[in-house]
Amino acid sequence: MTQPNRNKPQSVDSRRLKLTNDAGTQGVLLGSCCRQCGICVFGSASFCQSCTGGDLATVELSGQGILYSYTIVRVPPAGWPGPVPYILGQVELSEGPHVLAEIVDCPETGLEIGMAVVLALAPVKTEGSEAVKVVYKFRPQLTTAGASKARLEAQRKEKP
Amino acid sequence: MSQLRPGREVMVIGVGLHPFGRFRDKDLASLARDAVVAALKDSGVPWKDIPVAYFGHVYYHGMSVGETALGPLGLTGIPIINVENACCSGSSAFWQAYWGIASGMFDLALAFGAEKVPSGPVTVTAADSPERYIGGDHMMAGYALRARRYMAETGAPPEALAQVAVKARQIAAMNPFAHRKDTYTLEQVLASRLVADPLTLFQCCPTSEGAAAAVLCAKESLGQFGVDAGRAIRVAAATLTSGSYNGKGSDHSAFSPYRTAQAGQQAYEMSGLGPEDVDLVQVHDAATIAEMQHLEALNLVPPGEGWRATLDGRTALGGAIPTNTDGGLLAMGHPFGATGIRMVHETVTQLRGEAGPRQVPGAQVGLAQCSGAGDVTTVQIFTK
Repeated sequence: MTQPNRNKPQSVDSRRLKLTNDAGTQGVLLGSCCRQCGICVFGSASFCQSCTGGDLATVELSGQGILYSYTIVRVPPAGWPGPVPYILGQVELSEGPHVLAEIVDCPETGLEIGMAVVLALAPVKTEGSEAVKVVYKFRPQLTTAGASKARLEAQRKEKP
Repeated sequence: MSQLRPGREVMVIGVGLHPFGRFRDKDLASLARDAVVAALKDSGVPWKDIPVAYFGHVYYHGMSVGETALGPLGLTGIPIINVENACCSGSSAFWQAYWGIASGMFDLALAFGAEKVPSGPVTVTAADSPERYIGGDHMMAGYALRARRYMAETGAPPEALAQVAVKARQIAAMNPFAHRKDTYTLEQVLASRLVADPLTLFQCCPTSEGAAAAVLCAKESLGQFGVDAGRAIRVAAATLTSGSYNGKGSDHSAFSPYRTAQAGQQAYEMSGLGPEDVDLVQVHDAATIAEMQHLEALNLVPPGEGWRATLDGRTALGGAIPTNTDGGLLAMGHPFGATGIRMVHETVTQLRGEAGPRQVPGAQVGLAQCSGAGDVTTVQIFTK
């Protein structure tokens, strides 16, 4: 019988993020879709937020979306374990629901409402222990990031 | 909907405030009691006649703080109910007091609220919540997300947001109860420290301490308690809503102003009044962006026009729709449990014609709106 590995990375919230490998480097966002009214929400749920029905299917979300809005947080909330400032995004998933999460791998100047973003997982150390939580974040989808970078470079070249 | 069918008319007959600010040497119950004593004195009704009390507060200061606050006034044995409903805790206490009378259960009721909010960014969830690691639980970051989206959709410039804070301080300079009474220029607001861009520090309400209280009475009982009917202000509507499905899910930080529209619409229906009847308004301006979005949601300015109304001076004292006539959350500060009843205090003071240098001339109808975590929203409409 194998002992559970206490240091194995854990999902920050197993109702929203399911890890699909032991290293915690791969995973999918979970959603719930109502079989009665068809509404999908972020995270697993027992009852439909729209029609209150109880016949729901847990689905794996695509992890793709667009940046609905963003802010650069310079005064963090108590207990925030990451670097400051950090970019907080409001992401509209392609399935519809909105998710608040950190935007990573993106320079502040590359942020743009409407840009395509994709799920990115990152390990975060928990306070006072060796345990690691895997947190869902978003990063620019490569094509968009490349396009933004190219646009910025073009702008720079125009300036004397 | 049952909340739209009041049984009988309800009046506010007394209001009281403890100044808003920082009072390190005074406990929560003492703050609250001072506001209650002021409201009772204003009403002319003695404490021994009050049959029920509702106390709004959020942070933990021991159990049954409402009882601790009122006990020293005399142990009269009445029901005292402690109410927690985020930033609407005070206005939810008021809502319960209103319905306690409207339904016929009581002839008089006391609503009061107090808070000592700790310094620093306000979070909604418990300390062990996953949100600590996700980073989305940050009240002002939520408002910042709304601000950036609003600016992109409407073309509002940063100066329009900053002007809300400039106006708040100009008004508060005339209000001895305000936490922040010093005035700022537009440039100073924009140059203050960034909290979550585009929101700078002076565009975020201070966390504060303070207390507010209101005494309510059935209109038909005014004579029985010897109340001065000439100073009694009618509650034409009192509504309270929580989040309803919006097609996007509910992330607590990114409050959606449309919830204000829902509570506002119910209040307009209940009162038989419309936006065109409103002479002055208090809205939940926890951040500058919120004031213009709430005004739009209440149909007091056209959709997408809140920022223009701010720059045009329409929302200033002397404008078409004077907004946050005591300085609002941005200058009064925001002791959660007190804020909703502070808005009642200001509206009643204005409709009585007792607001001094802040008086809106000839004010007949006032509206107050509060919003909080859990997508709680309250709206009240008052008439002279």
